[in-house]
Amino acid sequence: MSTLTEAAVESAVRELTYAEAIREALAIAMEADERVFLFGEDVGVYGGAFGVSGDLVHRFGTERVIDTPISELGIAGAAVGAAITGMKPVLEIQFSDFVTLAMEQIVNQAAKIRFMFGGKAKVPMVVRLPGGSGTGAAAQHSQSLEAWFAHVPGLKVIQPSSPHDAKGMLLSAIDDPNPVLIFEHKLLYKTKGHVPEGDYRVPIGKAAVRREGRDLTIVGSSIMAVRTAAAAQKLAEEGIDAEVIDLRSLRPIDFDTIAASVRKTHRLMVVYEGVKTMGIGAEISAMIAESDAFDFLDAPIVRLGGAEVPLPYNPVLEKAAVPQEEDILAAARRLARGDA
Amino acid sequence: MPVEVILPKVDMDMETGSIEAWKVAEGDAVKQGDILFEIGTNKAVMEVEAPASGIIRNLVPASGEPIAVGTPVAWIFQEGEEAGAAAAPSARAPSRSLTPGEVAQPGGPPSSSVTPPAPTPSPQGGGETVARTANGQPASAKSDGIRATPLARRTARLNGIAIDEVSGSGPRGRITEKDVLAHLAKAHPPAPAPVAARAPAEAPTEGELVPFGPVRRIIASRLSESMRVAPHFYMTAQMDMSALQALLKRVGPRIEKMTGVKPSLTVLLARVVAGILPRHPMLNASVEGDAARLHAAVNIGIAMERDGDLVVPVLRGAEGKTLAELTRDFRRLREAVVSRSIQPADMRGGTFTLSNLGMFGVDSFTAIINQPESAILAVGRTVDTPVGRHGEIVLRPMATFSLSSDHRIVDGVTAARFMADLREAIEYPEVLL
Repeated sequence: MSTLTEAAVESAVRELTYAEAIREALAIAMEADERVFLFGEDVGVYGGAFGVSGDLVHRFGTERVIDTPISELGIAGAAVGAAITGMKPVLEIQFSDFVTLAMEQIVNQAAKIRFMFGGKAKVPMVVRLPGGSGTGAAAQHSQSLEAWFAHVPGLKVIQPSSPHDAKGMLLSAIDDPNPVLIFEHKLLYKTKGHVPEGDYRVPIGKAAVRREGRDLTIVGSSIMAVRTAAAAQKLAEEGIDAEVIDLRSLRPIDFDTIAASVRKTHRLMVVYEGVKTMGIGAEISAMIAESDAFDFLDAPIVRLGGAEVPLPYNPVLEKAAVPQEEDILAAARRLARGDA
Repeated sequence: MPVEVILPKVDMDMETGSIEAWKVAEGDAVKQGDILFEIGTNKAVMEVEAPASGIIRNLVPASGEPIAVGTPVAWIFQEGEEAGAAAAPSARAPSRSLTPGEVAQPGGPPSSSVTPPAPTPSPQGGGETVARTANGQPASAKSDGIRATPLARRTARLNGIAIDEVSGSGPRGRITEKDVLAHLAKAHPPAPAPVAARAPAEAPTEGELVPFGPVRRIIASRLSESMRVAPHFYMTAQMDMSALQALLKRVGPRIEKMTGVKPSLTVLLARVVAGILPRHPMLNASVEGDAARLHAAVNIGIAMERDGDLVVPVLRGAEGKTLAELTRDFRRLREAVVSRSIQPADMRGGTFTLSNLGMFGVDSFTAIINQPESAILAVGRTVDTPVGRHGEIVLRPMATFSLSSDHRIVDGVTAARFMADLREAIEYPEVLL
């Protein structure tokens, strides 16, 4: 047996919160490349609305951690311009809901420029978007709009579920010559997990099988991957063996991993926080239905998505509007037992 | 398309119900919301309304017999669609009312397994005998209108079964893979029991049906899976236990003083096996795709019984532990098993399993590998046996060891070398020092 050095032992057990992991990734990228800079409302002295940028302004100065005016369209446009001219901006949209104001720059400009200029221009920008419900922030501060952007060729959309992946995927995103949107669930910021020291990458576009199982496949990303994994533990105690796929990336989507799992388990459930209709679940279901994995389905595909309402402020209704662990458990039981 | 009328689930835990009386007759015109029939559950009798307007066809007779929830019990046709479209449902409806194991109702149509797959013309077709659908498409024996999952259809296709011969057990009579496999098993029974063949008139006595608990369900699925994925082969050897018996006698009291419990033969065997396993990496390994994962630690699972279920707690890091430490670990695990407080973590991560049934007087047996491990050692009782030693017949305490190995990564010679090493360590435990 090899003897671990003390430092390696410490690194192996080191835990950070999701927010700390993102901050560490930002610091690593800023140390390594002076073109990387942060940009957004209250990311400087205030440390970010969710404390993600923290003390970075003290470490890197106000030239590289820039507080901006409240104008999402303006700051997104500035980020696109900076990216085209050789910088690597990391933009924070304070609440992902506010990205609606920046759609023109992200969808019509950032996503298109590399294509329309035949590859002569690149847009290496990252947009960080705190999203999701569960904080009592009501209908305009709680949405999950990631599917909107996953619809746009030219963008990459990622949704890490763990501190480990948040750091590794953000570093991959900053490396990427294309615009990458990283949707960070607000409820995940304080969750802790093992995060290795130093620079490492988690590839964009590769799902992770969090639990292998035989009875059904449950696909989710971000906080839904966390809830699904917890539900799968309980299902196992009931004798239901669920395979859990953490999607991690919506565009590009790792269809092969899902299809391989469906060929094995014959049952598929997709769990996502965004509104159920016209969402991620529709896409994954249709991909399976179009592929040869269709022939391996032994039950209708189940989508578990957000309710068809603007997210309520009332905390009971807010919870009821989004799949919770109990909902995943109940739906998985029905699917596994053949009642779906 | 005709609308099917199913036997609805009107009670939380209801699985079957009965039709007590029809309030409409074959061929009646009904409006959505009209009362169609009375459904009986084990608690009450309730009325069931028509899900659509149209003409009632192919209703299942009111027999009072149990019918599975979701079974179509009638069809509601629109004007003009009855002739051709009626063929498929009428051919199928009777088969739906039969749950597996049930016989055809008296006077009713024969069970689906003996029904020829040819489409049956509608009994209500009147003068119309040409099997054509309303839109003029010829109605073929194609499986249109049959609820079956893609996997069920695929499995049926691969086995040359017409999907309309299969009875569905899913919601609304949906055919799943399970139903196709059950149909296959019925069509090709593995081995007909001669007793049943000789006395076909006598109905089999129904014994008690004990549903699987969660643990039994896992055991059933994991062991079936193991036999399916791992080509097992078996190797047996008798070994002289006198040295181990002497060792237990000598160190037993000392270890009891240290740990408060006497070391058992099972724990001693775990110690011996853990001592030699590092020299036999393929027997302390797991198949992962196209590779063998060689485990660094030796975690010995010990098969135990609890309330009729099999549980396998794990002695972790056994290669680096003394007999006293393993005895202490084992006591903790056994107490946790008995008090049902064993944690999943204590049953995970095994790399090799030991199953000892010697205390039941079993001479020898073979075991199924506990996936994803690559081998399991089954131990029989130790019994004084005449053996030849130096040209004389002497009595020695012998025990039979049977090794089951996964031939994907363990070859005969690999297993034989392990057995030779095991014999050496059992008969001369000093070699482990």
